[in-house]
Amino acid sequence: MNPPVLSVRGLTTRFHNRAGAVTVVDGVSFDLARGEVIGLVGESGSGKSMTGFSLIGLIDAPGRIEAGSSVKLEGRELIGLPDRDLRHLRGRRISMVFQDPMMTLNPVLTIGEQMRLVLAAHGRIDRASARARSAEVLGRVGIPDPTARLDAYPHQFSGGMRQRVAIAIAILNRPAVIVADEPTTALDVSIQAQILAEMRRLVAEDGTAMIWISHDLATVSSIADRLCVMYAGRIVEHGPATEVLGAPRHPYTRGLLDSLPSQSEPGADLRQIPGATPSLAALPPGCPFEPRCGRADPVCTTRPEDVEAPPRGWRCHHPLGETAA
Amino acid sequence: MTAQLAHPTRDTATDFVRLDRVTKIFAPEVPLTRRIAGLFGAEIDLRILRAVDAVDLTIARGEALGLVGESGCGKSTLGRVLAGIHRADEGTVEIDGAAVADRDGRKLTTRVQTVFQDPFASLDPRMRIGETIAEGPIAHGLVRRREAAATVADWLRRVGLDPAFAKSFPHQFSGGQRQRVAIARALAMKPDVIVCDEPVASLDVSIQAQIVNLFLKLRRDLGLTLLFISHDLGVVRHLCDRVAIMYLGRIVEVGPAAAIWRNPRHPYTRALLDSVPKLRLAGAPTPVIPISGELPSPLSPPKGCHFHPRCPIAVERCRTVRPPLVRTVDGRDVACHLADAPTPAPL
Ligand SMILES: Nc1ncnc2c1ncn2[C@@H]1O[C@H](COP(=O)(O)OP(=O)(O)OP(=O)(O)O)[C@@H](O)[C@H]1O
Ligand SMILES: Nc1ncnc2c1ncn2[C@@H]1O[C@H](COP(=O)(O)OP(=O)(O)OP(=O)(O)O)[C@@H](O)[C@H]1O
Ligand code: SF4
Ligand code: SF4
Ligand SMILES: [Mg+2]
Ligand SMILES: [Mg+2]
Repeated sequence: MNPPVLSVRGLTTRFHNRAGAVTVVDGVSFDLARGEVIGLVGESGSGKSMTGFSLIGLIDAPGRIEAGSSVKLEGRELIGLPDRDLRHLRGRRISMVFQDPMMTLNPVLTIGEQMRLVLAAHGRIDRASARARSAEVLGRVGIPDPTARLDAYPHQFSGGMRQRVAIAIAILNRPAVIVADEPTTALDVSIQAQILAEMRRLVAEDGTAMIWISHDLATVSSIADRLCVMYAGRIVEHGPATEVLGAPRHPYTRGLLDSLPSQSEPGADLRQIPGATPSLAALPPGCPFEPRCGRADPVCTTRPEDVEAPPRGWRCHHPLGETAA
Repeated sequence: MTAQLAHPTRDTATDFVRLDRVTKIFAPEVPLTRRIAGLFGAEIDLRILRAVDAVDLTIARGEALGLVGESGCGKSTLGRVLAGIHRADEGTVEIDGAAVADRDGRKLTTRVQTVFQDPFASLDPRMRIGETIAEGPIAHGLVRRREAAATVADWLRRVGLDPAFAKSFPHQFSGGQRQRVAIARALAMKPDVIVCDEPVASLDVSIQAQIVNLFLKLRRDLGLTLLFISHDLGVVRHLCDRVAIMYLGRIVEVGPAAAIWRNPRHPYTRALLDSVPKLRLAGAPTPVIPISGELPSPLSPPKGCHFHPRCPIAVERCRTVRPPLVRTVDGRDVACHLADAPTPAPL
């Protein structure tokens, strides 16, 4: 086995507010291999974005990545690295694509100028080579007539095209890892399909590894090799995507799957997970899913430990059987 | 399915909601300075936008019709025309044989109500939930002021909220709860028809399931007629009896949901369904097949069939002649010159 490009151990991020500390990422661990896509799924507020931000070191006060957390990118520890070194790695070895492309794009600069700055930030490059490389990458993400489009401003692109430009900027320096946070959520299915197809091709051609954050299980299952399911800041289940979705061990994963319209006959009531996502400030002492779980019993008021059974793992006192479908 | 006639006569059961050749045009607002410049020969962009282009559509009493299509194709505009919020520039909209708006575009009826995507934006933050729900019915004389509290409690219960919530303000609710309030407010007007514009788009999967179930229950309990606008094809398939697919202001296919999913006849419908990621429970991912090209500008739509620049089977005629929406044998209307040709190879 090759060493992973990204190795995360016990990643814990807390917000220290006046009312007290809230743990938004709670002991997250996983390895990401070269060319692999890991999907990060879970309900709103489960900590998917905070995990992504923590990985690239974009957590601002009162948030803090706690001591004991480890994020190794190509063998190099990122936690505790001075801001200057982190900035240098960001965009070059690890980059992020956001749901809103305008978080990446500067409205007052042409696309070409923004791409040149990104290239120049990571090594000397003359204008002509920067233009050539930028146009090449825009072409790769499916922007027609890329050389001419270098002189356009972000507002001259449609939402889908803007997201492609943001992706082009993310891959400009051929990073080892891309963290993509709901990159297609705001887009039409047809444009989503184009971007999914292009991202998959990029991963296959360049061996770039990717973390694909989404609450849409179908989208994730069409791109991810492995899945991590998050609940209340923790990974409650992980494993190969088809195994996790085909035979979930954690009742929460089962609940998410069952609530999809495609899992019920048309017109029949959907099977909904009872209750609502818990407030992170007032989690139950044991399993955080306990108040909503149909399998809960008195044992569940104690915290379930991680069970590792490679290639899978889960955190539940009463996991569903191997054959549960 | 009951057999469909080639030329359905006016029947207020099957044509409970009826749109005839409805067109909605948005004209550009040209600032005065540009218009003066225009007098001196400057070029002004005076292209009009045909957001809804001669649409015929019917919804039967008690039926849920889904309306799907890419962003900007005119779904919300069509929904607003149906609800009497926008005036149709051409054509007529009738519910149970009566027009929804008068000649000047004033809404005539309370029989159609709307539920929008963002319940936070559509609820007045300074009004208690109870007042929000009772306001319309009192103003239209549907309930008396002293009966209002009981009515509010009844509707809150029906949408699955505790009647005690009547005293609360919108900010005290979660997204799913706010959507329930918006639904209760629409229902309190005792409408026959509800236009829902992306009512579950901003909600989490688990909350989305709750709201979908609520719509299913309300349909069963109240026999509501629904126009359900959504870009989530899975939800539409689940909730709707029939589906209309829209492309650049026009309906390209309409028919029973099950039949359309089994065998889409319009090349655009087929492409749209193929581009939806499928949940993969085993094996390699089913590739999503993107539609080639981008949605053309609605300001200068392609001539003939709007879909021809992206259509893999287009023929010469498609470039010049608009294909009419024609009833086909299986109770489906399709607007494609080649709809009756043998099924083309998978796109
Ligand atoms: N400043 C803060 N103080 C306390 N908690 C915070 C703060 N900022 C965010 N959180 C909490 O962090 C948790 C994780 O948020 P995150 O944005 O990672 O969720 P997510 O899984 O990405 O959700 P979504 O699907 O809605 O994007 C949320 O419960 C949120 O309330
Ligand atoms: N008030 C308006 N003035 C001018 N143009 C408008 C107006 N409202 C909508 N349009 C235009 O009409 C077309 C149809 O818009 P509409 O909002 O109906 O689309 P939609 O199908 O609902 O899209 P979405 O899925 O993004 O909600 C678009 O090109 C839009 O820009
Ligand atoms: S630990 Fe108990 S409550 Fe938690 S998911 Fe497992 S069975 Fe349910
Ligand atoms: S009319 Fe022609 S271009 Fe339009 S969908 Fe049919 S075959 Fe394609
Ligand atoms: Mg997020
Ligand atoms: Mg709309």
